[in-house]
Amino acid sequence: MNPTLPYNDSQTVTLAIIAVVLPFAAFVVNFLLLGKSKASGWVSALAILASTVLAANVFFKVWDNHTIHAQQVWFTIGATKVQAGILLNNLSVLMLLLVSVIALPVHIYSTAYMKDDEGYSRYFRYLSLFCFSMLALVMVDNLILLYAFWEMVGFSSYLLIGFWFTRGSAIIANKKAFIMNRIGDIGLLTAIIILYTQFNTFDLETLFGNQGLISLSNIANGEWVSALGSIPAIWQYIAFGGIFLAVAAKSAQFPLHTWLPDAMEGPTSVSALIHAATMVAAGVFLLGRFYPMFNEAELTVLAVIGCFTAFMAATIALTQNDLKRILAYSTISQLGFMVMAMGVGAYASSLFHLATHAFFKCLLFLVAGIVIHQMKHIKDDNNLNIDPQNILHMGGLRKKLPLTFIAALIGGLALVGFPLTSGYLSKDGILIQAFDWSDGKAGILKLVPYVALLTSWLTAFYVARLIVKVFFGEFRLKKMNPHIHIHMGDGGWQYKLALVFLAICCLFPVFSYSPVFYEDAWLFKGFLPVNHLARENMYHVIIPVLVVILSVVVMYGAYVAYAKRNSWSFPQTGFLYRLSFHEWYIDKFYNHVIVRFVMWFSNALYWFDKNIIDGFVNLLEKIGVALAGIAAWFDKHIVDGLLHLIAGIVQAIGNFARRFQSGKIQYYLFSMLLVLIAVFIFKLIWT
Amino acid sequence: MIGLNDFMIVSVVLFCIGLFIIVSKKNAIQILIGIELMLNAAILNLVAFGKYDRINNGGQMFALFAIVLAAATTAVALAIILNVYRQYKTIDPDKINQLKD
Repeated sequence: MNPTLPYNDSQTVTLAIIAVVLPFAAFVVNFLLLGKSKASGWVSALAILASTVLAANVFFKVWDNHTIHAQQVWFTIGATKVQAGILLNNLSVLMLLLVSVIALPVHIYSTAYMKDDEGYSRYFRYLSLFCFSMLALVMVDNLILLYAFWEMVGFSSYLLIGFWFTRGSAIIANKKAFIMNRIGDIGLLTAIIILYTQFNTFDLETLFGNQGLISLSNIANGEWVSALGSIPAIWQYIAFGGIFLAVAAKSAQFPLHTWLPDAMEGPTSVSALIHAATMVAAGVFLLGRFYPMFNEAELTVLAVIGCFTAFMAATIALTQNDLKRILAYSTISQLGFMVMAMGVGAYASSLFHLATHAFFKCLLFLVAGIVIHQMKHIKDDNNLNIDPQNILHMGGLRKKLPLTFIAALIGGLALVGFPLTSGYLSKDGILIQAFDWSDGKAGILKLVPYVALLTSWLTAFYVARLIVKVFFGEFRLKKMNPHIHIHMGDGGWQYKLALVFLAICCLFPVFSYSPVFYEDAWLFKGFLPVNHLARENMYHVIIPVLVVILSVVVMYGAYVAYAKRNSWSFPQTGFLYRLSFHEWYIDKFYNHVIVRFVMWFSNALYWFDKNIIDGFVNLLEKIGVALAGIAAWFDKHIVDGLLHLIAGIVQAIGNFARRFQSGKIQYYLFSMLLVLIAVFIFKLIWT
Repeated sequence: MIGLNDFMIVSVVLFCIGLFIIVSKKNAIQILIGIELMLNAAILNLVAFGKYDRINNGGQMFALFAIVLAAATTAVALAIILNVYRQYKTIDPDKINQLKD
């Protein structure tokens, strides 16, 4: 470590590193030592407990204090020294604490939830690996490590989505998630390379810190000028595009959001930790890290995309029947809020919402997990052929699962942004700042805050629909199959502990002593250099009131619609209904256009490969064979033939000469006589 | 008077008869007889030409040696023929062809 660091700081750094490495140690222990043992759950849980304690310790030392940055040389290429280390500022310690605090109840919950599963220990291995990657991701101080852990987070998410790898749909889902995340990774890599080219460093603090290279650079005359040189401004936009892709892929923003609903194929506890609270927040975290880089136009893009995503996902969530899918779309919607908040300059509110959302969405997913678990028990006990996640089968569960119901209610209200909950504080902050922002804008940008406001009412509706369908009214499955046996309960202490803990974290006192004013939240203040947002205009009064009153109306409407009058329902044939139910046909569009194009293209390439490349190779082969044939023929007939001819001549001569050696002496004598006579005759003739 | 030419003619006739016997007969004994005839033709020549050496009588002497040697070779040849007969049960030279390749 850096020797110039004061003793206290280096101690903090050590603690932080231990907090990060502990889950990895649990992963290694589980992997190497424990095999299929049931102890693996507790090893992972203990590791994350210790991480939580250490993270809390680090958090209280660093929060609102000075930034700690420790690094050492990692490797040297040419003249470039790449430093590796950890960066502890408000953002990273918040994420550190958040991830470990969310992971802890999820681990405890999982020990009960996954108890009967075949892959119990495999599950905890993956979970520990994920925690390690995520904790490391938020702490590292350079872009290369950031990228590495970004990938590792995606990879462990892939493993966990495909956890039940014998299900075909899980495999398709994890492939989809992986491929979409790869698209984002390419963007991030591009951005990193561009940043390195421009600033010649991978160090986050040097790049994005106060008075960092990014804040000193500016765009002038079509050139992106920095202290080290200038490149065309287009590169700045390409880098932004790359970062946006990365964010859109990880945080499920509009063009790349379709993997998240499918990712619900994983175990519900995984969805709670990864696909609701932590990993999907990585994109927002990345925006937070790179925030100083974005200029006005880029922020506007973020705001519009975030707003659109939030609205679209909320409309889709209105009509879905799968419990987890509704929550997944609500996650996308809330992530859209966070990205929009980043775009409208509500940096602090965005991160505030990230933190509060992590708690209440994790809580809601754990609730969903319990409900699904119970439904699955009913299904297995009675041999029913139902989808345990379909909310149309549920109803009236508040009597059977009282604690779960209360937890769901608290989580749901927080998601809606009801007063006294944490969601109220963070969401209203975003909405108010969105209105402030749009004051200075013209045209279509004026719409952004209104759409966001509409989205929050939609949120109220689908949350109310979800809770009412699941917990109020009659138990529809019982109604359809009156003879089934039902044993239901909130489950063991592991469930209760996790639910109670997270439910408490969804209430306002955790974040602010004031239930009404978001500006008082400690978390909010931690991200503002100066308290520039005084309550200066009427938005600060009107918006919360509007949100709350209309939300209440909407929720009551949903309650009436779904709980009281079961016979009455919304028309299910209109275009808007179908648009929403089919998730805006985005998946279908991707399948029909992009996937089909890619398949067509790969088939074309396959054809090209098979016929042209292979054909060329085959042609070469054929030519070779033909040449070899000619050579063989030549060898056989010309070369060998010559030799055979010689041999044949010799043999013929031999055979001819052999005839004389008949073994008959008189014949020899006779021939000698003939020769002699011939000699004499010749002599006579010649002379 | 009998001249040198007459001797020569007789000798040639004798030699040719011997040669014909050697080439044509299928019996080793007859071949041996043919050889003797040819030998005697040669001896007759020696004696006939011996008239030019009245002092030393070289021709006569050489003829005597030749006759003795002929007798000796005939004895050896007869012995060989006898052994051949024992071995092959035949004395037809055409049939004794085991040295053929």
